[in-house]
Amino acid sequence: MDSLTRFWTGQEVYIMKVFLPIIIGFLVLFMGLLAIFALSIWWRHLRLWHLGKEENRSDRGALRLKSLLAVTFGHLRFWKELYPGAMHFLIFWGAILIFLGKIVRLFSYPVGLTNPPQAIFQYASFVSEIGGLLVIIGGCMAVYRRYIVKPSRLETKPTNTLIYLWGAVLLMTGYFVKGYRIAIIGGSVVPDWPFWSPLSYLISRFFLILPTDPLNELLVWHRVLIHALPAFLFFAYVFITRTPLQHFFLSPINIYFRNLKLRGVLAPIPNFEEAETFGVREISEFTWKQLLDLEACTNCGRCQDVCPAHLSQKPLSPRRMTQNLKDHLSREGPKLLATLPDQRQPEAIMGTTVSEDELWACTACMACEEACPVYVEQIIRNIDLRRYLVLVETKYSSEVRLTLKNLEKSNNPWGMGRGLRTDWAKELGVKIFSQLPDPKILFWVGCCGSFDARNQKVAISMVKILQASGIQFGILGNEEGCCGDPARRIGNEYLYQTTAQANIEILKRYGVKTIVTLCPHCFHTLKNEYPQLGGDFQVIHHTQFLMELISSERLKLTKPINKVITYHDSCYLGRANQIFEAPRRILKSIPGLKLVEMERHRNRSFCCGAGGGRMWMEEHIGTRINQMRTDQAIEVKAELIGTACPYCLTMLFDGIKEKGKEETMAAYDLSELVDQSM
Amino acid sequence: MGSALRPLAIAVEIIILMGVIYSLFLAVKLSALDFGLEEKYQKFIDWVFMIMGCLALVFFVAHLITFYPRLLALTLH
Repeated sequence: MDSLTRFWTGQEVYIMKVFLPIIIGFLVLFMGLLAIFALSIWWRHLRLWHLGKEENRSDRGALRLKSLLAVTFGHLRFWKELYPGAMHFLIFWGAILIFLGKIVRLFSYPVGLTNPPQAIFQYASFVSEIGGLLVIIGGCMAVYRRYIVKPSRLETKPTNTLIYLWGAVLLMTGYFVKGYRIAIIGGSVVPDWPFWSPLSYLISRFFLILPTDPLNELLVWHRVLIHALPAFLFFAYVFITRTPLQHFFLSPINIYFRNLKLRGVLAPIPNFEEAETFGVREISEFTWKQLLDLEACTNCGRCQDVCPAHLSQKPLSPRRMTQNLKDHLSREGPKLLATLPDQRQPEAIMGTTVSEDELWACTACMACEEACPVYVEQIIRNIDLRRYLVLVETKYSSEVRLTLKNLEKSNNPWGMGRGLRTDWAKELGVKIFSQLPDPKILFWVGCCGSFDARNQKVAISMVKILQASGIQFGILGNEEGCCGDPARRIGNEYLYQTTAQANIEILKRYGVKTIVTLCPHCFHTLKNEYPQLGGDFQVIHHTQFLMELISSERLKLTKPINKVITYHDSCYLGRANQIFEAPRRILKSIPGLKLVEMERHRNRSFCCGAGGGRMWMEEHIGTRINQMRTDQAIEVKAELIGTACPYCLTMLFDGIKEKGKEETMAAYDLSELVDQSM
Repeated sequence: MGSALRPLAIAVEIIILMGVIYSLFLAVKLSALDFGLEEKYQKFIDWVFMIMGCLALVFFVAHLITFYPRLLALTLH
């Protein structure tokens, strides 16, 4: 007797008399369920997304598809955290294997593949068994984490518990069906069973059986029903209601339509002069993709775990905010759909679902977006809400009011006179760009470099380096204005656009082609956001420029700095523009300097606390974020903290002072260190 | 050996069956809430399902004690 025949010994009766009718019934009902699922997707999801504004996310289809497949099947964004990554990987691939095995077996009966039995059925059995085992391991890991470890980022709702319990029951009853069939035949008669059905074979050794075949057949019938009926209802529950398991289709959709542009680039308000409202007051003022984001959020809490505002006890949790907005959409969306557009009275988001403290706590550092496995976009959404508060309600703190007033009146956040902008450069012989005969490079000093005493030293170092390298450069002088980043991140798009347009006009007037900036915020705005208003320039951050000078040996670093340094990645240089290497290569070029990394570095870097306009606001709640970052530098026993951002430098400089570490620690911009080493 | 295992096997079966019943009832309740049933009815639903669950438990215990197999597969073969 060959192995295939042995495998089927005594099974034909169960296949034809027990399984076939149940499977035919299951398949017929399942077709109906799929139709209801399709209807439910339209009724409960698509209609809601259509409430949102238009946004084009259909470009570069091939890239989107590639990214979808890589992220979904390869779990690319899950492995950043080993335990949850491995847990989800096991459950995901286990479920896929079960599904594959089941599909083969489900369809092999009705199409006659199993009469006579085919080898594929054995493989399907094996695949299902291994899949089930993977799900059991992953599921146990999940249960241990959620109910025993209980990380604060996980919110356990009854539906989570239900899914674990139901999943466990389905797996057990599935193994019991096969296990009982094996028990009836007897493992000694069918030696292949242990290989093709390892788990079922194992449990079959402990089953009690009935004395006659008809009674056993009846019991198998019971067991199949106890497995198949709850399985069908499980699918019905997952397909129709808003369970967290709906992420099995919502997450891939969100990944497909993810933002393919640079992170942190805000979209301008179109037709500003004619628009009747600005930003987002109510749910339908979000774009359809922003509404999809809300539904795609899996509530995994990775964003919360990396959010500097949350970690410093501010009232913001990106996870909670997204979930609250999701509930708002589920509550308000159907009401809006049931009302004629001109009779709608939508509930405001601010004050009901999102609080002002929560919104203003965001540093726009993008750590949440970096951590999100399904590419939920939070920053643009927060800025949209801020735009409404600032431009329509004019509701903001007194510090924000003062900053905006200073920007309007003096074109810098400090409110310093325009005529003072070049005071720092008086002794340096810096040329004004418009007066140069053949200007090559515009050095964009920025407001911090121009007015802030600590950052003026950075600007001076940069000028010395440029002069020592023989670079022909100039500054705009008193014609330079704020780049507009603070106004834009605070939500005053009108002020940003007027400021940016004025700058673009000046830059175009002088024929500026290449700009070197000190500040990553200026860099990001000039490089990535000015093109939206017609300002296309080659913008280089000073770390990139310095690296080029060092590489080409135009700049020789000879004086050693015998210190241990840690580099703090600025959010808008690192996460937004992916510039991680240049600053590190500069530091490695300085003799004597020893670079150590903080635990959170590169794209996982921890914000200094000044982004998103927070530079101009007081931190009234919780721990100061700059102190937390300083602590992280202290932990690695760094003597110096290197940065490439004036905001970060200010915050870390203050952090060191606040921690009383001035004698053992100092914060420097990279250009200062290069200057010292020349 | 089979008779010694029987109460344990019945207990395991009852746990699984009650797991099925609990899952189904909880799913019905959560679905109803998801489809807009007001939260004030939750307690009523909980009571109804608790009573039905108790009845199911009694039925399963009686049914399994009466009909559950007595022969151990290993000893049979």
